[in-house]
Order: sequence, then C-alpha cells, then structure tokens
Amino acid sequence: MAAYDKFLPEGLPAWQRPFWDSLREHDVRVQKCSGCGAFRHVPKELCNRCHSSEATWSPISGTGRVYTYTVVRRAPTPAYQAEAPYVLVHVEMAEGFRMIGSLTVDDPRTVRIGQDVRITYEDVDADWSILRFEPA
Amino acid sequence: MPWRRREAAVAGVYQTPQGDLSDRTQPEVWFECAKGACTDAGLTLADVEGIIGDGPQGAGIRSRLPGAALGHDLLGKPLRYQASSSVGAAASASGLNLAVHAVETGLADAVLVVNAVAGRPEGSTSADRDQAVAAMAKLSGPYEYVYGTTRVSDYATLAMRHMHEFGTTSEQLAEVAVAQRHGATLHPLSFHGHRGEITVDDVVKSRMVADPLHLLDCCAINQGGGAVLVTTADTVRAQGRHAPVGLLGYGEGHSHIDPSSAPSLASFDAPAMAADRAFELAGVSRDDIDVAGIGDHFTINVLFGLEAAGFCKTGESGQFVTGGALAIGGRLPTNTAGGFLSFSHAGACGIFTMIELIEQLRGTAGARQVSGARHGYLNGVGGAMQNSFSAILGQV
Ligand SMILES: [Zn+2]
Repeated sequence: MAAYDKFLPEGLPAWQRPFWDSLREHDVRVQKCSGCGAFRHVPKELCNRCHSSEATWSPISGTGRVYTYTVVRRAPTPAYQAEAPYVLVHVEMAEGFRMIGSLTVDDPRTVRIGQDVRITYEDVDADWSILRFEPA
Repeated sequence: MPWRRREAAVAGVYQTPQGDLSDRTQPEVWFECAKGACTDAGLTLADVEGIIGDGPQGAGIRSRLPGAALGHDLLGKPLRYQASSSVGAAASASGLNLAVHAVETGLADAVLVVNAVAGRPEGSTSADRDQAVAAMAKLSGPYEYVYGTTRVSDYATLAMRHMHEFGTTSEQLAEVAVAQRHGATLHPLSFHGHRGEITVDDVVKSRMVADPLHLLDCCAINQGGGAVLVTTADTVRAQGRHAPVGLLGYGEGHSHIDPSSAPSLASFDAPAMAADRAFELAGVSRDDIDVAGIGDHFTINVLFGLEAAGFCKTGESGQFVTGGALAIGGRLPTNTAGGFLSFSHAGACGIFTMIELIEQLRGTAGARQVSGARHGYLNGVGGAMQNSFSAILGQV
C-alpha cells in the first residue's frame, strides 16, 4: 500500500481514542450520555442536554439518511484532488444525531438528500481507519 | 471618578489597494493603515489610546498578553485599552463595539481597529492560493478535515440544504455575486473590480468548486489592509472633516463549533438573535435600513444573513435577491464595494464591509453612493454560520 498522504487526525486527546479504535475494529461506537441517554458526536467531555460528564462508548445501528451533502471538485490538497470529485455527507443517524463523512458512490449525480446510507470503513494504514458511508 | 457617559463615533477610516501585497511587510501595511485612519480623522498615531485586536507582527511583540505587547514595545508609551472580539473574519468589524464601549465609558479617547495582511506568510493568509486553501481546510477539526472538507464545502453543504428545503436556485445565489461585482467596478481599491461586470449566466457557468457553489459564488483570496479609528462624537464634530457615524445598536449570536450540534443547517437562530437585539437597541425597523453590509464568504452567506436579519422570511431570500435587489439602486443595496466576493477577503475582512457602510453613511461613497443613506445594517459571521454579530450604524 502506498503511503497514505491525506490528512489524519492530529492532536487527538487520549479520551477520544475509543472512537477511532472502534473504526479500526470496524465496529463503530459513539458516545452515549450516562446522564440522559443521548448519543453525541463529535466526542465531547460534556453533554449539552444534562451537563453530565459521564458517557459510554456505545454501538449504533450504523444507518441513517443524508441530511445534506456536497460534491467536492476543488480539494484541499493534491492527494484529495486525485479522488475528486468526491461526495461529503452530513448524515442524520437512526439514533438522532448527525455525523459527517464521505460517501462512496460511482456517480455523484445520483446522491439525494434523504437517501438511506450506512457506515463502512476504510483502512488507510496500519494505525488508522476512516469512517465512510455507502448507499444502503 | 464616575464613568463617563459620552457618545462615540467613527473619526477616521483607511484602506489600501486590495490584492497581492507579498512584496510589502505586514508591519509596514499595518502602520500605513493605522496612520491613514488617524490622518483621515485629523489626528496622529500619538493620539491613539486603545487598540482592538492585534498589533503588527514583528520582533518582541508575540505574547500571551496581547495588550501588554502593544504598549512600550509598540507605541513607546503605555496603552490604555486593548480587547479582542471572537467573531472570526468579522472580528475587526465586531471590534467596533469594543472600541465604542471603550470611548463611551471613558476607558480611552481614541481607539484603533486595524486589519493588515501582507508579506509572505505561511498558511491561510498566504498570497499563494493552493497554500491558503490547504491551510484553511484544517481550521476545522479532525472529524471534518480527514474527509477532505474545505471552507467551500462547509458552506456548500449549507447551501445544498437551503436549496432542498426552500427551492433556492443557483441563479438566485448568482444575483448576489452580480450585484456585488458591479459595486466593485466602481471602487478603485477593489480586488476584482478591474475584471469588470459579470452576469448570472457567468456565475452559474463558472467552474463548480463544491456543489452547488461555483467559482464566482466564492470569496476572493487576496491580501490587503484597512483601519478604523473611533473617538468621541464631539471630537469628530470638532474636527469637522466627516459626519459622525456611530453605532446605534449591536448584538451577537454564538451558535456552535461542531456543525452536527446545530439544530438546522438551513436556517440559524443565533444570527437572528444578534440581529433582533441590534434592531431593538437601535430602535429602528428593518424598513429604516437604506444600505447593508452582510458577511459574504460565499453567495449563500448573504441569503442566510438576509433571513436572519429579518429582511425577508426564512426561506424567501432567494426570491428577495432576484432582479437586482442588492445592487446600488435596488431594494436593499448590499456590500456595495463588492464584499468579500469582489472587494477583499484579506484577514479579518469584515472591516472592509464596515468601512464601506461608513462611507455610505458619511455620504462619501462616490459613484457607489446610495442616495439618502441614513441607516446601515452591518453583519459579520465567524466560520460557517458558527457565530455572528449584527450592528446598526448611522449618524449620531
Ligand atoms: Zn446528557
């Protein structure tokens, strides 16, 4: 595998590692507030509903619907540009929170707001896996 | 000693030509702007008692105590006042509120706001477009940038949702760029004015950058500088050089840092809160506004800004802008010097939008003058609708 030259997370605090570890294990786990039961993403140290700082890393269905999207044609770096055009999606997950990711599709023109998608994983190197979505 | 309660006003403004200033140093441009605003006010740099935001870059003044670095190290004397606003690229414009507060309460008699981008910096203020785009992409967190997000894609996803919910079209977005380019052609310091007029067709046929935003929906990438000096309104009147333009009302709205925390990506409550407070404090209505300056990193920004300000209902901004409503002579002339799209997107570029409003309200906007402009609405946004401010400007 050629060296991965897109952006990888930098400066992640240790407490956020369980999310990235779960991607590497192809078994996504997201923070679930121990105070009120709400899922949240991206990881935060506090719940914005009940202000509890206790949370567990909990499995989710991995399915959702496209809330909004774009097709990136002018990418941030040459490594991303090599894959352009590519689709970025904000997905309304079944559990009621939104996640951002990229959507794997053959033809970006077929993407629609409201379409069903599910999580997949891209193993980019020995240490990191990245969350993606694919049409469900 | 009691707090002084006195009225503040803009005493001086200054702008450099906007474009590639890589052959000049940042401090040189900073001082040109600072002195220029003082000269416009009939004052000198020695009169400055407060600075909003940062001083010039340079040896010995990088500090965790930003105000301390501006005293003896920079000005050769103690500085009475320093503060910074946090509204992203609008921080210099929202800094007007801090400058006015300092003058009105007696903390300082003359307060300067400067924005200067020049030289050959690395990163997001680079004159090199590729470098600037790559650096700006990483301003978001790892939960976004690993997927190859860009500043354009951040706004493109919002635009796509607005189109989905309200039927907004690319042609409607293009109206913003067309109106603003016209203004830029009438401003000799603008970055894109020399390129001439554009049409709706030009915008929708320009290269797609991130659907649905085309190249001409996107702000410029350039360098440049500008400054504003605030003193008491009495000082401005005594100088007799300019009509005293002041802050009639002001409000802020801080929304979210994580886009997934925002309840909606098609309409935004925080900027509406900012606008409502600004109008309430000013005691003027939407109908009283003659000219506007609305944050416009992308054309869609202006549509969000119009809705949040209440110039039209949520979802109706596309119809509102159709037919040249934002052009000089239109229903609500907006960003009449060209905005970030066509005038300048250098650094804390909200200052340029504010300076144009000040010129309009002084009645000195020349070929761009909106006749009888008495009340101006100013808005600026940090990030992708993540925080914002609103202000009402007028003569005091
Ligand atoms: Zn909770």
